[in-house]
Amino acid sequence: MPALLLAGLLWIWVSRVPEGRLAQGGVSTPRKGFQAPDFALADINGNSIRLSDLRGQPVVINLWASWCQPCRAEMPALQRIYSEYQPQGLILLGVNATSQDDLAAARAFAEDLGLTFPILYDTQGSVARLYALSALPTTFFIDHAGVIREVVIGGPMSEALLRIRIQQLLEHPVEKAP
Amino acid sequence: MFPIVQVGPLAIQTPGLILLIGLWLGLSLAEKFAPQREVSPNDVYNLVFTALVAGVIGARLTYILRYPQAFIPSPLSVFSLNPGLLDPLGGAAAGVLAALIHGQRKKLPPWAALDALTPLLAVLSIAVSLSNFASGAGFGTPTQAAWGIELWGAKRHPTQLYESLAAAIILLALWPGHRYLQNWAAGRYFLVFLAASSLARLFLEAFRGDSILLPGGIRLAQALAWSILAFCLFQLQRLSK
Repeated sequence: MPALLLAGLLWIWVSRVPEGRLAQGGVSTPRKGFQAPDFALADINGNSIRLSDLRGQPVVINLWASWCQPCRAEMPALQRIYSEYQPQGLILLGVNATSQDDLAAARAFAEDLGLTFPILYDTQGSVARLYALSALPTTFFIDHAGVIREVVIGGPMSEALLRIRIQQLLEHPVEKAP
Repeated sequence: MFPIVQVGPLAIQTPGLILLIGLWLGLSLAEKFAPQREVSPNDVYNLVFTALVAGVIGARLTYILRYPQAFIPSPLSVFSLNPGLLDPLGGAAAGVLAALIHGQRKKLPPWAALDALTPLLAVLSIAVSLSNFASGAGFGTPTQAAWGIELWGAKRHPTQLYESLAAAIILLALWPGHRYLQNWAAGRYFLVFLAASSLARLFLEAFRGDSILLPGGIRLAQALAWSILAFCLFQLQRLSK
């Protein structure tokens, strides 16, 4: 018994990791703990927004489509949260999966719901591929340093969940990617 | 990695489905062999059901207590189906507490009950690792090994498969139908399973790329696994005296 426990302690010591070595911040992939993959998309007026230009501010990316009922159900909560936290620096990007949607229907959706946050149109499906979109809606919570802190697949998200995740983003200290 | 399986109009979350199948298979196995431990299959079912219900309610209540201010503007969120609004530690504590109270009220012998639950825990260990494989959670460190898998931007140790394999070997070695287990003292079966699982965690955690680190770069899961292993070995030594 002592030999096994001693070997265990030795293994723990041998397999320890230097501080920060496991941080995934340097790799871009759509997974919690990793750097959010960069992209640039245009809104309906052709104004382009690049994710990396927003570094330094917490960003929420919500991927949606006009035919998706859970997307419609969670949009009012997203709009309320945006109105509340935008003065504190929150950026909310509504990315329409336009390659799986109809552009006119998507525009009407945003107008009907009175969305005031930027709506970007993924006409080529490049962001859907980059973010390995497997279900709609999918929401990514990204901190000041561009690191994904939470991924919520499916919906509708409750307002309390949104509020808690955003407060955590706003409180999160800026971490430098290794 | 298969987080979602599309069956017609249904998008099925594979990780959750694997856990449900694991729970069903594990519970069936535990119920089948419970009489060997002098515990009735009904008692096993009721114990697990009580723990699960209390666990879910406890997880949500703990979450609400942690973030009450988030629920005040939208009180209906208390009943939201979002699994993100659950506190795992609070849920586990509530589940264990409810199981203890239920066991005491039904006068279940604790070691025999733990032995009866062991097949369920063994099957769930496999299910959790496979569920992680489906979701991409519990990923490994980057490797150049030929059996590495492409995941999250790098070729990585397939830690979820290592862990599934280890859990499967433990289940086969401790299959509840084995004759040599019949004469073991109450509690020994559970302790041997827990010791073997802790040993596997202690070894395999070294290949994980998502470990929580303690000061000095020590992996928290390894420290916990070592402590549980030490406790089990100490208890097993006492039982064999």
